[in-house]
Amino acid sequence: MTHGVSRRRFLGTVGAVGAAVTAAPTEVKAKGRPPGWRGTDRVEKIATNCEMCFWRCGVLAEVADGRVLRLEGNPDHPLTRGRLCARGNAGTQLLYDPDRLKWPLLRTGARGEGKFKRISWDEALDVFASKLKDLRQANGPESVAFFPHGLAPRFFSTLMKAYGTPNSAEPSFAQCRGPREVGYALTFGHELGSPEPVDLEEAKLIVLIGSHLGENVFTSQITAFAEGLSRGAKLIAVDPRFSTAAGKADWWLPIRPGTDIALLLAWMNVLIAEGLCDREYIATYASGFTELAAHVRDFTPEWAQPITDLPAARIRETARAMGAAKPAVVVHPGRHATWYGDDTQRARAMAILTALLGSWGRKGGIFLPTPVPKGSFDLPSFPESERGRADGAGTRFPLASEELGVTNGLVDATLSAQPYPIKAWIVYGQNVLESIPQRQRTLQAIEKLEFLAVVDVMPVEQINYADLVLPEATYLERYDPPTIVETAKTPFISVRQPACEPLFESKPGWWIAKQMAHRLGLDAWFPWETPEQHLAQIIAPMGINALELRNRGAVAFPGRPYLEDRAADAGTPFDTDSGRIELYSNRLKEIGADPLPRYTPVVAPPEGHFRLIYGRAPVHSFARSQNNETLNALMPENELWVQARSARALGFNDGERVRLENVDGVKSQPVRLKATEGIRDDCVYMVHGFGHRSKGLRRAFGRGASDTELMTRVSVDPLMGGTGMRVTFVRLVKESASR
Amino acid sequence: MARFAMVTDLRKCVGCQACTVACSAEWDVPTGYARTHVRPTQISGTFPNLVSSVYVAQCNHCDHPPCVEACPSGATFQSESGVVQVDKGVCIGCGFCVEACPYDARYINPATKKVDKCDFCMARVGRGAQPACVATCTAHAKYFGDLEDHSSDVFKMVFQGGAQGLQTRAVSVGPNVYYVGRKEHLDLIRASFPPRQPRLPVAGEAWTRVLKPLVLAAVGATFAGQAVAFFTQLRKGEQDFED
Repeated sequence: MTHGVSRRRFLGTVGAVGAAVTAAPTEVKAKGRPPGWRGTDRVEKIATNCEMCFWRCGVLAEVADGRVLRLEGNPDHPLTRGRLCARGNAGTQLLYDPDRLKWPLLRTGARGEGKFKRISWDEALDVFASKLKDLRQANGPESVAFFPHGLAPRFFSTLMKAYGTPNSAEPSFAQCRGPREVGYALTFGHELGSPEPVDLEEAKLIVLIGSHLGENVFTSQITAFAEGLSRGAKLIAVDPRFSTAAGKADWWLPIRPGTDIALLLAWMNVLIAEGLCDREYIATYASGFTELAAHVRDFTPEWAQPITDLPAARIRETARAMGAAKPAVVVHPGRHATWYGDDTQRARAMAILTALLGSWGRKGGIFLPTPVPKGSFDLPSFPESERGRADGAGTRFPLASEELGVTNGLVDATLSAQPYPIKAWIVYGQNVLESIPQRQRTLQAIEKLEFLAVVDVMPVEQINYADLVLPEATYLERYDPPTIVETAKTPFISVRQPACEPLFESKPGWWIAKQMAHRLGLDAWFPWETPEQHLAQIIAPMGINALELRNRGAVAFPGRPYLEDRAADAGTPFDTDSGRIELYSNRLKEIGADPLPRYTPVVAPPEGHFRLIYGRAPVHSFARSQNNETLNALMPENELWVQARSARALGFNDGERVRLENVDGVKSQPVRLKATEGIRDDCVYMVHGFGHRSKGLRRAFGRGASDTELMTRVSVDPLMGGTGMRVTFVRLVKESASR
Repeated sequence: MARFAMVTDLRKCVGCQACTVACSAEWDVPTGYARTHVRPTQISGTFPNLVSSVYVAQCNHCDHPPCVEACPSGATFQSESGVVQVDKGVCIGCGFCVEACPYDARYINPATKKVDKCDFCMARVGRGAQPACVATCTAHAKYFGDLEDHSSDVFKMVFQGGAQGLQTRAVSVGPNVYYVGRKEHLDLIRASFPPRQPRLPVAGEAWTRVLKPLVLAAVGATFAGQAVAFFTQLRKGEQDFED
């Protein structure tokens, strides 16, 4: 890496004399490359962070003559230390994807028809701003709902708050981590956050409950997972499917889907009955142990056996393994947690198990975030909405995050015009037709809108329904707000900065937000001219050098990840009402919910149907990456896992194309059947994100099947609004018969 | 003299394909081809007693490389450090080495019409970097180093840690790519992806003595045609192999 470092140092001097970091062609001899490599020897390296998913790994972009030649991991990045996954390595194929959105588009045909005319940015922004002014005038600013995701829309989020709408919702809450954040916050007083603070490399035992690490790849978490296993950590994988992780596990528990809470209660029963809990830790930090012990007294492994379809002896054996390894046990909190509608309670059960093992704040368990001081601007306060939020966060869904919002709550409000009419959506960086289940409802809601604006990089499904489309620059072409990660053992700040100029007429999000702010008379909320000035203000209290940060891509701070590091701190480490770990939750009792988690049966598949479960592949991110040339070649379509005996009994062959039909008669696109022993016979599995319907995605169009499309029913978590999505039941239909 | 080797730790590898993509980006491998790639095994056994693993396919830099024997032009050679390399300037793209390789680790690049394969990233190693696949491996599951260096990870894994090359009694070519892991996983990848018999169209000796001058004289059309034919065969062969 000596060359990389010296080249970046060289860049530093460029920055010092005032040039922007933006790919100013720099004469740097790239020694060590084969002669004629990519036809040029003018190579420089720009440090930034990745957005092929949302883990924000450190990247070095090798750039010559304004073209990004290759990406590699940034060895100076404190979290990912030079490693990049398949998607991260394939980032240039997003940058140079010929299907990208290239210029602003204004709809000319009917909604859904996909007819647009190319317009200039000036015209696009004028149309956008005048529409927002009209809506504010006629219906109030709350009539505009915002659907962001990721780092890029953060500046636009500020704009929307300044404009006066509280209605903003990301799928990362109600379709993903929401129940987990709520369940852990109820128990320990603060949310887990992302990356989740799991001390996998120090763990003696790792418990995965539905998590399929390995297929779900977040680089640093895979590194830590593999490190833990190679240091001898035992692994329990609870999954109806024989996942990659199950293939590495010491105990694979192929649980009946939907019965995880029963298993968790039985584990607690064994830990308490056999005295395997961390009693000193519980006495020091926790409250509600007596109530919990009484609550789980009857939930023995024998009770759980017929529910979970797991042998009682196996449940007991795994509980004892946890007791023996405590406190160095990671009960992985998972990530996508919206499964059955009782998900906050399942997260609570996982949090309580973690507490019984004394793992929270302990080496090899869940470590603690270390706060990093952040600078901010002295902005005018945002206007208060008298009408409040429309998505139900804090009202209909009492524990939902008001920061992240409830996407499906906004769909509901748009459809019902309750509590007040929603007239416009601005969708930025998410694909609402793929990220939110019940696509038909989402489409009906879109039909009711006066205005739909989409800011995106690729022509994903929703583009066809948009009135206005704004092409955003990719992560390799733009500045985003800096990333400050406190949930790392060494917390850090990292930057996203352009490796090259935006292609076509695409524009970075910060520029779009500032342009709109100017047109809407909201400049006061953007008191900076350039992203560099914004960055300087954010890092002001950190005692770090902006140039160093931009040259290295990231700067780390000392962490205090364990309770033992904080022994001398005043106050309690638990930000709950009681200041203790709340095994028994008074907060839940107050709102009429179970103060201790309870198992309630979930709906079983009707005769002749399977439960549809879904997950991820290491080479794709959600529904975002299927059009990437490199990743598409590695996995052009998904396949449907079916238990081999079931497939045989139904007359299906391995490799045959089938369609899925749900109980409402919705059929999927054809998908290749994988007859395998590696799954239970009451469910089928596919990777999410395929079956694209947008013709603009020329590689991904029509390849594989979409699980989202089949989710016509969901089970909503009454506590936080999450859409439980593992309640879809399907039968298999011969492809020839389905035409 | 160095003796380079690579080891994949199957306990750590999750089959994420980071290596595949990093390698392709490093070496401009055309879409649909690979110098290295990860192939999961089928899930073996009967529910719920199952085994699965992953196989990381690449050139094995054999001690006795059949590809070198098969190469009529001398483009494929073995360096003193054991690394099997291709001199692209000499390669005629005939594809005999592709046929000869027991690990199906070579391909003809459709753009350059030359053979391509893993060379342990000698260009990177030469400037002190790790091979691209090793540098990016999300699980730190891949190790590269010198078997002559007794302090190296690869030495320890191969000579003390039970790492095994993928060879059989029938095909014993001395691979320098090793796998370490649980016995059941090693057994499964050996059963799933056994090296095949090298296909040498004519005995290597005959090539060298009799045909080589002819070959060198008739560079081009004949062999290009054969290469296409062999390549097609190879693709078919691979499919059969997977089934």
